[in-house]
Amino acid sequence: MNAAPAHPVAAVPESAPARPPILSVDGLTVEIDGRYGAATIVDGISFHVAEGETLGVVGESGCGKSLSMMSLVGLLPNRIKVVGGSARFGGKDLIKASKRELRAIRGGEIGFVFQDPMTSLNPVMRIGEQLMEPLIYHRGMKRAEARKRAGDLLRLVGLPGAEARLDNYPHELSGGMRQRVMIAIGLACEPKLLIADEPTTALDVTIQAQIVDLVKSLKARLGMSVIWITHDLALLAGLVDRVMVLYAGTVAEDAPVDALYAEPLHPYTRGLLASIPKLTHEGDKAERLASIGGTPPEPGRRPKGCPFAPRCPARLAVCDDTMPPLLAAAGARPGHRVACHAVNGADRAIAAAEPAR
Amino acid sequence: MTASAVLPQAIEPPVSLWADAWRRLARNKLAMVGLALIAVLLFVAVFGPWLTPYDFLSQNIDARNLAPSLAHPLGTDDLGRDVLSRVIYGARTATLVAIVVTVIAMVIGIVLGALAGYFGGWLDAAVMWLTDVTMSIPNLLLVVVINTSLKPRLANWMEAQYLETLNPIYRNSIWIDFILVFGSMALITWPPYARLVRAQVLSIRNRPYVTAARALGLPTWTILTRYIVPNAVGPLIVAVSAGLGTAMVLESAFSFLGVGVNPPMPSWGNMISDGLRVWQHYPHLLAAPAIVLGLATVAFSFLGDGLNDALNPRGTK
Repeated sequence: MNAAPAHPVAAVPESAPARPPILSVDGLTVEIDGRYGAATIVDGISFHVAEGETLGVVGESGCGKSLSMMSLVGLLPNRIKVVGGSARFGGKDLIKASKRELRAIRGGEIGFVFQDPMTSLNPVMRIGEQLMEPLIYHRGMKRAEARKRAGDLLRLVGLPGAEARLDNYPHELSGGMRQRVMIAIGLACEPKLLIADEPTTALDVTIQAQIVDLVKSLKARLGMSVIWITHDLALLAGLVDRVMVLYAGTVAEDAPVDALYAEPLHPYTRGLLASIPKLTHEGDKAERLASIGGTPPEPGRRPKGCPFAPRCPARLAVCDDTMPPLLAAAGARPGHRVACHAVNGADRAIAAAEPAR
Repeated sequence: MTASAVLPQAIEPPVSLWADAWRRLARNKLAMVGLALIAVLLFVAVFGPWLTPYDFLSQNIDARNLAPSLAHPLGTDDLGRDVLSRVIYGARTATLVAIVVTVIAMVIGIVLGALAGYFGGWLDAAVMWLTDVTMSIPNLLLVVVINTSLKPRLANWMEAQYLETLNPIYRNSIWIDFILVFGSMALITWPPYARLVRAQVLSIRNRPYVTAARALGLPTWTILTRYIVPNAVGPLIVAVSAGLGTAMVLESAFSFLGVGVNPPMPSWGNMISDGLRVWQHYPHLLAAPAIVLGLATVAFSFLGDGLNDALNPRGTK
């Protein structure tokens, strides 16, 4: 029956999560209906998020980070469709859920924070109104009640002058303040899961740190799970429990955060980590910043084998025509999985691809 | 949080986008002149019956074609009717027609344009096809056809109703004029509004705040009415201001040709038409309505330009 993704996916069970998963995604496949026919942009990715866990999703632009998360809740542009996989969330399969069910989940049980706080708030609506909207719609609150709660939310996210800000328009707030408002809106209905899509990318560095600290403290206080999408690996170190590295719509590596930093296995992950600038004492003798040559493949022009093969410093002959499965890495820490022939050995890949494992 | 040390009273009071736009508009002299003229026009239109020195219908055979004087500031016409009174009543007609026609056209345009832009697909194709068809028909021709084919039938029907019910409502032929003039003019003026709103919605529906609203699970209706249409209103206000002037000119043009408001109801258009025949002898009969019509359209166009600059501050210098 397999609504099989274009490449075989490893059937290797990951180490059982300590806490029950709140979201478990299996074989999610997304296609774009382009000018030259359908092209796969998310290729059978599987992951889970445990209760109270923070998952970092990392990758270059165009690797399907945001798209895979948006596809879970039906927020895809017209020509892009989910064609396979399942996503269990609170006893429901989000992929099969009706539009009405998804609307109730969005904003109600799954909250969002978007990248650009300068453009993600409605410019002609007072921020109090925008905060009250989900409360009135999802919680059926009366206006007065919703307004009181909106003031509480602004205090929760540490907006200076909380209640007095309710009647402000977005253009009267700074970028950092607006992002606090966005977070307050995302949290309005106390979601079980918050999806933060590069929430700090558009902010300057000092504000970034404030927002990261804010989300960390709110998470601890409200006990929700968080998916934090970013291309900034350095940001994730003190923030997330686990990191999933995406490349061209596939999972390259998936590991607990300390394991990933201590021993990155996939050549792509190593490349990403090497390209974080480091401050050295001998400022005059700065090293040249490492970079990964080339760009991710365009959808529809993916290599037959490992999508990273053309850019990979550790490429083997087998990489060009066989997709490496995501396997628990031999000798690595529990929960550390990687999709790489050079790390796992090509023979294990072939063994995993056999139906009788 | 160090920032929370800021006292609430340090926050400046909210300035709405509209207050901001008004400040910019007030700095524009031409726009203020336009606004003043429009205010006078509206005042005269609303309070016309209390302002006119004479009844606009009463004729005076002894006082025909008089030049302007103290008794008749704008003179009298060939039936001895006071021109000033007729110009004031003409303002009522022009304003009423312009406002009603523009409101009808705007509502049709907003609804069709917003739906077409937001949903796209066949709905968009159908609406755009409809605007193309409407705009391809020559305005005057359509109005002439409607008036010549429908007006006699409507008049006959009303006559029959009157004979049956003896209800005096059916006696008043002015209603026929207004219904037909409003209807046919709205029919030819709605497509630009629909196109404008559609174009606005097309660009707004992909803005991040609309995605954010969808991510909040808000229903489509709320997203359209609270997130998309309010953000499309700026250019629409400009178009409506200019459209009011255009509608006045259109109404005058139709009346001039005899397919608009019919005599004895005064309209600047039919006054110009009457005055044109005798302008060499009695130029004031042409000048009065023509100058007033010119001022009114210039006023709306000044205001429209001013609004355009005030609502799109980045568009200027």
